[in-house]
Amino acid sequence: MIAIPLSHILILASILFVIGFIGVITRKNTLFILMSLEVMLNAVGVAFIGAGSAWQQADGQVMFILILTLAAAEVALGLALLIQMQRRFKSLDIDNLSKLKG
Amino acid sequence: MTQLMLHSLLPVLIVAFGIVLSLLLIAWRRSQKLILIFTITIFSVALLASFSLFVDLADAVQVTTLVKVDSYGLFAFMLVLVASIAVSVLSSMWLTHTTEVHDEFFVLLQLVVLGAGILVISDHYASLFLGFELLSIALVGLVGYSRDSEFSVETSFKYLVLSACASSFMLLGIAFIYSYSGSLSFSTEQLMFDNMSDLSILVRNYGHGDVLFYRVGFLLFMVGIAFKLSLAPFHLWTPDVYQGAPTPVTLLLATVSKIAIFIVLMKCWFSQAIFVDTKSSDENMLFLMSIFAIASMLIGNALALKQQNIKRLLAYSSIAHMGYLLIVLIVISPQSVALAWQSALFYLTAYVLASISIFMTVQLTQYHHNKSELNVDDWQGMFWQNPSLAVLIIVAILSLAGIPLTMGFIGKFYLLNVAVQAQQWWLISALIIGSGIGLFYYLRIIFVLFTIVNEKNIAKELIPVSLTLSPAVNFSVMIVIILSVLLGIFPDLLGNLLVTVN
Repeated sequence: MIAIPLSHILILASILFVIGFIGVITRKNTLFILMSLEVMLNAVGVAFIGAGSAWQQADGQVMFILILTLAAAEVALGLALLIQMQRRFKSLDIDNLSKLKG
Repeated sequence: MTQLMLHSLLPVLIVAFGIVLSLLLIAWRRSQKLILIFTITIFSVALLASFSLFVDLADAVQVTTLVKVDSYGLFAFMLVLVASIAVSVLSSMWLTHTTEVHDEFFVLLQLVVLGAGILVISDHYASLFLGFELLSIALVGLVGYSRDSEFSVETSFKYLVLSACASSFMLLGIAFIYSYSGSLSFSTEQLMFDNMSDLSILVRNYGHGDVLFYRVGFLLFMVGIAFKLSLAPFHLWTPDVYQGAPTPVTLLLATVSKIAIFIVLMKCWFSQAIFVDTKSSDENMLFLMSIFAIASMLIGNALALKQQNIKRLLAYSSIAHMGYLLIVLIVISPQSVALAWQSALFYLTAYVLASISIFMTVQLTQYHHNKSELNVDDWQGMFWQNPSLAVLIIVAILSLAGIPLTMGFIGKFYLLNVAVQAQQWWLISALIIGSGIGLFYYLRIIFVLFTIVNEKNIAKELIPVSLTLSPAVNFSVMIVIILSVLLGIFPDLLGNLLVTVN
């Protein structure tokens, strides 16, 4: 079996992370912003698992499970806020949320 | 797990157990008063436990690889608990407005404190991550707690998205650091640098470029932390969230979350001996920190100048204060690490006392005006109507501005001392310029307090503040005033306590 160099895994994770981040800053729909956040978190998961397997330790996978828990909690909060938003503004457009300025 | 380990974890365990008990209490009887008293009791018991531990603890106790309890962390946890007791008292004033029973608020508050407690004792990236997320996710819930407010959805959504982004950046940073060092513990990185054979094994097996990943990793890690501390390039959320969140939650954001994250940053930073040791010190990292610090001081103070809304003004001033505090990280010799810890803890104490006083007044006057937006002008002539509250604000503002005979002055003196030892002249000049700009908007508030209100200069719909305080509130106002003045005049009372530890 050919070992994949760790740096390749980390570069893959970085590319996925950047894709997610671009999604967060360019999307107008809040649902897609939440989905892009998930992409970012899962990219981190790839990096952790890659690093963990390179060091032959379980730590990377443990961190990934913690990240999954975090992602679930964050989505729960995010969806609750989306419901509030839909009720109040009748749309999920992020531009509704720009009242605070100064 | 020996008895000593359990004993040293006691304060955090008390808070964790308190959360379970509060849930049982809610199942048994939903009562606002009961849960409030229960929450304050839990915090006070945890405060007593940490104080007794703080006095007893001779040496740092390593509890598993995840957690290391030391006196600095315990002192920070005591500050966190004092601030959270203040938050509970303030929120009891705020939550009486509506008819609902607000049990969840107090459960979330206890979760925030638990997160802060884990952060201040963590010694491992996994426990850092757990504490960090416990703190932020519970805070998102609290920030948007008043559903009826027009800003609640906006504020909490902004905070949720930006804080989730920041934690992903931090996590990617941790993953990169881990890929290089092979350990998630803070302290073993020193060992990695001493013992380069590990590195060479890694390089042989997995190609090159790992040091680069380590550098990038630490940079990403700092982005996450800088967001939470609202340091200059990542401060954009701060004024909006401060303004939109309920006042007690703003106090929580300004004190508990900042203390806990700053302490964990210091632990992480100092245990990476590479930054402390002069010979191998990484100039780039020190340079990065100086940039963060100088930018925060200047931007925070400059943007505070034109603010009318008090909460926004405090948000910008907190950005500047975190910038000042970053100075303690620029330490070049291992001997001055102890001094850096003392300075940071003293400065944080001064900052917490001043924040509690100001937010207490904001909450009281907001209640009186019965409006969500409080401008500086709403405090017009308060000194003539309500001297005790006005004195409270004056002491707090002078302390934030760093005028002699207040705690803030001594705190700034400590920081200058650290900066002079490290010979960071740019930082010192930024500190002086920043404080100079700061005086302008701090003193404006004091002038407003003394303005004599007559028919002519009352703006439209502006009521002079003439609220009557209940004896309990008056008593706590007096205690805070006396404490701030006493510690300002005799800083040794606190300074000696900090010197004797470790």
